[in-house]
Amino acid sequence: MVSTYMPKTLAEALQIRHDAGARPFAGGTDLMVAYKRGEGTEPVFPWPIMLLEKVDELKGIAKDEKGNVVIGALEISAHIATDPLVPWHVRQAASRMGAISLRNQATIGGNIGNASPKGDLPATLILLDASVVLASVRGERTMKVDDFIQGAKKTQLADDEIIKAVVIPPPPKLFTYLWYRKIGTRRANAISKLSLSAAITLAKDGTIEDFRASSGAAGPKVERSRVVEETIIGRNIKDVKDFLPSFLDAYDKVISPHAMPEYRRHVTRNMLERFLSECAKRPTCTIIE
Amino acid sequence: METKISFVLNGKQVSLVTDPMRRLLDVLRDDFGLTGTKEGCGEGECGACSVLKDGLLVTSCLVPVGAADGSDILTIEGLSATKRGKCLADAFADGGAVQCGFCIPGMMMAADFLLMGNPHPSEEEIRIGISGNLCRCTGYDLIVASIKLASERGNGLW
Repeated sequence: MVSTYMPKTLAEALQIRHDAGARPFAGGTDLMVAYKRGEGTEPVFPWPIMLLEKVDELKGIAKDEKGNVVIGALEISAHIATDPLVPWHVRQAASRMGAISLRNQATIGGNIGNASPKGDLPATLILLDASVVLASVRGERTMKVDDFIQGAKKTQLADDEIIKAVVIPPPPKLFTYLWYRKIGTRRANAISKLSLSAAITLAKDGTIEDFRASSGAAGPKVERSRVVEETIIGRNIKDVKDFLPSFLDAYDKVISPHAMPEYRRHVTRNMLERFLSECAKRPTCTIIE
Repeated sequence: METKISFVLNGKQVSLVTDPMRRLLDVLRDDFGLTGTKEGCGEGECGACSVLKDGLLVTSCLVPVGAADGSDILTIEGLSATKRGKCLADAFADGGAVQCGFCIPGMMMAADFLLMGNPHPSEEEIRIGISGNLCRCTGYDLIVASIKLASERGNGLW
């Protein structure tokens, strides 16, 4: 039987991670399913495990002096979905994860560390240029979520590190319009087939000052192309009809859907087209549906 | 690697020495004989094994008992012994919510969790509240109506 550790402090957890190579176990909603053996039996893991449940230093949602929202790695989706400090896109994604009981268990650190292409939070975190704080006995380092997740189930987590927190910076200027849509088979417990998170900042005259879009569940990792985004920054939203076709074609080239690519490409185009076309109408509401 | 695990179970302090990775579901059923908590899917999809952990609805098939150390666990047996549980059970019986009954303990835990946060939910809110619980007999309508009935009768309980 492999060892299970139950550290009470972050320092203790980091030492165990260093000495025994134990893997961090947060909410367990992915790990308990991946290693389950069936009715009446405990899961068996191929590596030592440490249950992080009691490490309070990994909990909490707060705003720092720079206006960043800092979310502890062990914060559950239910808290993230309802905390007004958390940016809208992240709250939306958290509130649509699994069902109520899953949202009471699943953590943001686990959702990032598991690095499933279907994970709901990374798409919104990448949209907002969020970073992860990685802690080890050697110290801490910070890295963009977009860099940390390298592909399906692949991250840059070192053997002695754990994810300590997520840091979400405020956008340079308040977004004018927001978009989040997750497509799944059932409202509860649906694993995303596709998601699109987007945000735009418009000047009074309609000039696009900031535009971002991230596509989730459409390929091995969340796709966000700053190059394609920049092609419409500086354009006027009034001219959306002129730049939309070439923009949609360019966006189509950056996503790489693994299964049902025609469907995923088609729906992604539709969502982007709807978002930008609705923005061009300059509605008074902030959230575009 | 056996470890001593202690927690509050239905209001009583309990402890046991066991593998901390055993599922809370199995510990409840096999070690404490609390067989009201059911195993449906074993992967958090069906809600039959729902319990409250520190007041939050969780699926006990996904909780290693080590993660329950120091927590407060309420199962259907503990809920049934309260006025809230009695109110829910009566409403489920009077409303015809039960057919085979396998999902009902989980449904009642989900209903209790819902009503604690929202004592007078709308039909839509009730449907969302039990959206993580699968029932293969009833088609849900009578369960939804029975939770509504409990919320009306149980004025002040939640």
